[in-house]
Amino acid sequence: MYASIASGVLFGARGHLVDVEVHVAKGLPGFQIVGLPDASVRESRDRVRAAIQSIGVKFPDIKITVNLAPSESPKSGSALDLAIAIGVLAADQHIPLTALDGLAAVGELGLDGSVRPVPGVAPIVGAVADHDVIVPCASQREAMVAAEGAVRPVADLAEVLGVLGRGDPWPVHPAPDAPSLPPSPTDLCDVRGQSLPRQALELAAAGGHHLLFVGPPGSGKTMLAARLPGLLPPLERQAALDVTMVHSAAGIALPPGGMVTRPPFRSPHHTSSQVAIIGGGSHSLRPGEVSVASGGVLFLDELPEFAPSVLDTLRQPLESGEVHVARAAVSARLPARFQLVAAMNPCPCGHRGEKPGSCECGADRAQRYLARVSGPLVDRFDLRVSVTPPDADLILSPQPGESTAIVAERVLVARDRAISRQGCLNAQLSGAELDRVAPLDSEALDVARSELERGRLTGRGYHRVRRVARTIADLADSGDRIDAEQFALALQLRQALQPQGRSGRCAA
Amino acid sequence: MTAQRSAPQVWSDDERVAVAVLAGLSNMTTARLRWLLGGRAPTDALDVASGSTPDGGPIDRVRHRFPEVAAAWSNELTAGASEEMAAALDRVGVRVIGPADADWPEPLRVDHDPPAVLFTIGSIAPDRRRVAVIGTRNPTEAGKQTAARLGYELSEAGVSVVSGLALGIDGAAHRGALASGDVWPIGVVANGLDRPYPARHAALWSQVARRGSLLSEWPPGTKPDAFRFPQRNRIIAALAEIVVVVESREKGGSLVTAREAADRGVEVMAVPGSPGVRSSAGTNELVHDGAGIVLSTADVLDVLGLDHSRTGRLVDTRPPPSERAGSLLPLLAERPATVEVLLDRSGRSLAELAVDLARLERDGWVHESDGWFQALDSWARVANDDGGVR
Repeated sequence: MYASIASGVLFGARGHLVDVEVHVAKGLPGFQIVGLPDASVRESRDRVRAAIQSIGVKFPDIKITVNLAPSESPKSGSALDLAIAIGVLAADQHIPLTALDGLAAVGELGLDGSVRPVPGVAPIVGAVADHDVIVPCASQREAMVAAEGAVRPVADLAEVLGVLGRGDPWPVHPAPDAPSLPPSPTDLCDVRGQSLPRQALELAAAGGHHLLFVGPPGSGKTMLAARLPGLLPPLERQAALDVTMVHSAAGIALPPGGMVTRPPFRSPHHTSSQVAIIGGGSHSLRPGEVSVASGGVLFLDELPEFAPSVLDTLRQPLESGEVHVARAAVSARLPARFQLVAAMNPCPCGHRGEKPGSCECGADRAQRYLARVSGPLVDRFDLRVSVTPPDADLILSPQPGESTAIVAERVLVARDRAISRQGCLNAQLSGAELDRVAPLDSEALDVARSELERGRLTGRGYHRVRRVARTIADLADSGDRIDAEQFALALQLRQALQPQGRSGRCAA
Repeated sequence: MTAQRSAPQVWSDDERVAVAVLAGLSNMTTARLRWLLGGRAPTDALDVASGSTPDGGPIDRVRHRFPEVAAAWSNELTAGASEEMAAALDRVGVRVIGPADADWPEPLRVDHDPPAVLFTIGSIAPDRRRVAVIGTRNPTEAGKQTAARLGYELSEAGVSVVSGLALGIDGAAHRGALASGDVWPIGVVANGLDRPYPARHAALWSQVARRGSLLSEWPPGTKPDAFRFPQRNRIIAALAEIVVVVESREKGGSLVTAREAADRGVEVMAVPGSPGVRSSAGTNELVHDGAGIVLSTADVLDVLGLDHSRTGRLVDTRPPPSERAGSLLPLLAERPATVEVLLDRSGRSLAELAVDLARLERDGWVHESDGWFQALDSWARVANDDGGVR
């Protein structure tokens, strides 16, 4: 007897439709899976056998062949368990074949017949398109984000047999509560003082500029960075869908509504491997942190402590907004449209920036430390801000800073202004467009000329400063021309990491 | 042992080369070199070092106890070694002077741990007073300015400024000195005179050599090994009448020099700093231990018994700041400030501050490092001038 049911597997952040064909016939008893299963798929034989026996059905002791079509692409993961079990039941005549028409199943089986959630339900459900789909209870909301047909949550294999084999109605499982509450929202009003870094955050949010904080330990770099996502507007529908797919594929708990609507904030530890950051792995090409942070903020704390090879792999996604991960047999394109925020100490001892004269590293040692972050990467940061520890008076002051809500409103207005003018955020402006949308007034030109002539600013640096100045002007709604104060402020906001301050020779 | 007591002889040209070869042997120390050259012609000393003439003393013991040193010495004392050394000395223009020479510095004749030989470019002016101005390689802007001013004003008063040509305070002191018209700087370095160290000070190095003198205890080809710097410091201490420490952390080479100076009865003076600032922790400690306090060059000249009325002033060539920008300078006068503090005290907006600070910085009135702004005086330009000294 032959049966077939649709299911899917995950590659990168995309689901692929797989037809699970089961053939049961006389012959030596055996249970074989073909169609390039990897070890994790082959193991499902044992789970399927045990699950079927657990729900009180005799497992057919004749020859069972399972084919996963298309059979030339490798399959991985346990998402096919449920479909294989249903296929076996149908081929062994416990379920009528007609019941499987237009039906798909996704889920892992427990030995007791329970149906368990798997990562990537949303993209897999998206791939099975118009089928009704049976999913684990816990993945119900996730499936609904992408489903075109009906979503049928089930708790165990017995329920499936009841509905398909005996004509019971589909069981009703209320959608589970969120597995964990989102972290308590961080508000900008907790930050005391820090005018310059606050300004940088606001500009980063409004212009999409990559941002680097340089400052001694305890100066509040991490606290500031964590407040950037709050300033960003909610994701638009398509972006939210893409982000949800990636989060589902990465096995990250989705918010209660099932859809990721807030820009994500990811801060991988500095020991993270290249594969963890970029994505990959030989089996299913899991999305890396750059993809999970897509649409939001990737925060790299202690930037120089990351392996240089890891940092250099960031350059391509920063440029193109996606990563193309390829392995011998498989390849995947993953979204990576993230905003990079990084924090670092200004020197190995960390005391530089506390007060002039408190650092004990010589100039050479500090220079070697900074050299661990490659020039091309540093160059991507439009905003490079020195953070100094706040005064005791400010920390103790009862006066809260401006709150996230107020700043986010200004950010939204400035973003709209940029998008309606040039169709993109200011960080994406090219040199030619800058000439059109960010002309300098004569006084600002004087400042720019003197900086360029003294070698404190390079041609490329000039473009970057102008982009930031454009965002400053958008936030202030001060018209088309950039004035001297706006230009000087933009310069001030990329001051950090110039070896001897702006008086140094190595301006970038 | 009688050999050790006989009066030193003036060396011939060949002997000077032989001394340089001996000094350039690996694992050579001042004590070994003094023993080798004590009452023995340098050419004979070569035979002792190579082992062909046993000296029945320390060198034999060294050769016996450290076979690898003996092997290295025999290796390095080839026939060509003298010619190579002669060529190197000639190429760099280095003179070899010994204790019997007329221009051997007077203070080293009575020193308890004198070098056996000195390699020099230029010469020491014997009639000049000498003051060492030294400090950390990692100073604040204020420290560099103070060093440059001391260097300049001491030179104007006819004093030779002695220093180590290191990055930071040492360099700033000599840059200040070179800004004066009447100058005789003395740089004492730890490596051979053939290669400026640090390389960034190449221009300063050659200026000091041209207008004053460069001294080293070791011949051309010697690397700037870490252990040579404290030894170099003792020569600075011995040459100076006063050692002025401008900035130093709680540990540092400058404190080694100060201790060497104290051992020799040389006056130690220090520029005090604000308590709690790391870069002045060492100098404050010196003041606490009784070092003289230097608030201006006059304090140093007073100790020397020199007239300080004729010290010239450097012309301030910086364009005057605008009234609005200039009003920020008093806020920075006493101590460095962050943008946060300036915002608070000036009541201006961030953008106004940014444009004023950018202009002040462009014209040399303030310096920014790691988020802190410091006011500069006209000495900052001198202290930081990398290659453009006259």
